[in-house]
Amino acid sequence: MDGWTGKVLRVDLSKGEWEDEELDLDLAEEYLGGRGLATKIFFDEVDANVDPLSPENKLIFATGPLSGTGAPTGGRYMVVSKSPLTGAIACSNVGGDLGPELKYAGYDMVIFEGKSPKPVYLVIDNGEVQIKPAEHLWGKKTDETDDMVKAEMGDKWKALDAHVAYIGPAGEKLVKIATIMSDKHRAAGRSGLGAVMGSKNLKAMAVWGSGAVTVADGEALKEATFAILELLKSSTTVEGLTTYGSMSSQFPMNRMGVLPALNFQAGSFEGVANTNARPLRANLLIRNGACFACPIACSRVTRVTDPEYQGEGWGPEFETCSLLGPNCGIDDLAAITKANYICNQLGIDTISAGGTIACAMELYEKGYLKQEEAGYELNFGNAKAMVELVEKLGLREGFGDILAEGGYSLAEKYGHPELFMGVKKQQLPAYHPQALQGTALALATANGGASHNRAGVYGSELWGYPVKTDPLAIEGKAALCVELQHYKAVLDALGLCQYIVFGHVEAEHVVSLLNAATGIDYTVESMMLAGERIWNLERLFNLAAGLTAKDDTLPKRLLEQPMLKGTYEGQVSRLGEMLPEYYRLRGWDENGVPTKEKVAELGLD
Amino acid sequence: MPRIKVESDKCTGCRLCEMVCSLHHIENTFNPKRSRIRVFTMGDHCYPVIAGPYTEAECTAKTDVVIDGRQYDGCITCRASCPAKTTFKEPDVDIPLKCDFCGEPPDPQCVKICPSDCLTLLED
Repeated sequence: MDGWTGKVLRVDLSKGEWEDEELDLDLAEEYLGGRGLATKIFFDEVDANVDPLSPENKLIFATGPLSGTGAPTGGRYMVVSKSPLTGAIACSNVGGDLGPELKYAGYDMVIFEGKSPKPVYLVIDNGEVQIKPAEHLWGKKTDETDDMVKAEMGDKWKALDAHVAYIGPAGEKLVKIATIMSDKHRAAGRSGLGAVMGSKNLKAMAVWGSGAVTVADGEALKEATFAILELLKSSTTVEGLTTYGSMSSQFPMNRMGVLPALNFQAGSFEGVANTNARPLRANLLIRNGACFACPIACSRVTRVTDPEYQGEGWGPEFETCSLLGPNCGIDDLAAITKANYICNQLGIDTISAGGTIACAMELYEKGYLKQEEAGYELNFGNAKAMVELVEKLGLREGFGDILAEGGYSLAEKYGHPELFMGVKKQQLPAYHPQALQGTALALATANGGASHNRAGVYGSELWGYPVKTDPLAIEGKAALCVELQHYKAVLDALGLCQYIVFGHVEAEHVVSLLNAATGIDYTVESMMLAGERIWNLERLFNLAAGLTAKDDTLPKRLLEQPMLKGTYEGQVSRLGEMLPEYYRLRGWDENGVPTKEKVAELGLD
Repeated sequence: MPRIKVESDKCTGCRLCEMVCSLHHIENTFNPKRSRIRVFTMGDHCYPVIAGPYTEAECTAKTDVVIDGRQYDGCITCRASCPAKTTFKEPDVDIPLKCDFCGEPPDPQCVKICPSDCLTLLED
């Protein structure tokens, strides 16, 4: 059982029953864990055409074999389900401390099925499971929910060590871009999985445990850990992440002209002088925050003293700040941070919220959306309206009810789908695809819709990790994208954070952690093959769910209309030139369907 | 006698110290509840606490500590293993845990691993 507790908890919310199952170690070996194993179980058990908000959909919380072992950044857990936003497979990756605690409480994975007739929450108290009524928690914001659930754990020592995942009002109201939060500030952000949890009347899951995660070779794991810590310490990029957080990239990206602004109409924004990492550090930062076992500590614990936007919390991170800020034409860091706090408290994806509001602003400026409908003069730069709309979005109040369906639905409703900046109905993260050709390919082909976490080609094009490539070149980008997609699938399966890439932590280091934990003799090749297996399995699910190669695309504007100004003036995304090569390298046919040979090679037949 | 200086302002809450402590004292095992250093997060602050000697009686002087004008439960930041607490005891069997500086000469693994230089070994 090295690296695993060996137990899976299956909870039938319709019946209010649960049972323990043995972890299938053969499957775990084949799919590594986390994103891989959970997707395999989901694929086998759930009809791809299931309505994501119906009781027939399932919601899986999964850890990896490195979760809770002290492997650097090994604190992440994954939530897998079918997304109500995209209709595709969803795997949302979360930091914090809940994943390890779940293992200490005795479980590698929790599978939720059905729908509870009334609001409930689940408690796993050192292997003892209880389903408790949650009417008193329904409607509560995430921070209050955290405090209340912990207070109900029994004694203060348990409350101190317990970790809780929950939805806020947004998830309860089935907002399509709702998150599942844990530790108050950590989000399973993308794909709207908070709405799936809400549709099941499941408010929260609390875990506490005094059990252990045992590994095959503790000394080898320790040695690999110290080696990785040294690598991370020697990277100036990691140093930047520690000092300035993920926001360290905003200022340089703006200078390069690759920072989305004004709903991706531009690649830079003058107001970044006011929003970047330096004013954040100088004016808002209380301390750096780390996820479990992470030496980088890129999170920002912050406080806003500006009376209009007063508050305390975590963030903003780079994506949040860039999409709620420059992409909405906003340069008021206090307002952006306040909007971030509201997103965390209501349980909203900050990336999709920023992208959706930016879309509404462009609709307004072009005259397609009227002031009486929006309730505001919704010009780019209206910070007050942005902050208020984030709250309305999360509570489905007024115009917020329309925003709550996401940007794709918003742009369609007002007759201009071309103004939606996303892939597979999910908003783009804050990397401008027109100036970053490989990143564009990665965003277009990501199985869960636009996400920066599915390949991280931007790391190569912007910062030189794992290798420096020319952002405008398309040669070799398909191969790079494929390789990084597999590597990220591996990291998500094991429970590690993608930021380790910025310390040149590569597959050979990761395999040493994995083998020390599990006692299995993976090679770099066999581990990466598991990554490819995961990627293809997700693809097969999507194809069965009705997605096609047509969905591997970017907004028309980014493909056809040249960038207006800045370093990359005149650029368009050359996605169409890269896709055929990408499909070929993947062993997929011209329609993006894995060939029989590929399916057989990966053992997916 | 060796001591470990804790500068809690530098702590990010990563808990690598708990992991390496657990592994050092129990073969192939990661279990924070059996670690002799614990990191507790209260409000905005992370507070590493190193297990001190066991006291047989529960104290009567439970005072709260004030950090940056905020009040925290002094019982949580207290180093003692005592009858009133479940921390710093072996789970299930309740045997008290105490920091042993990882042997003689002292080589505390928590100090070695701490990425934010929050822990320093002092010998005098």
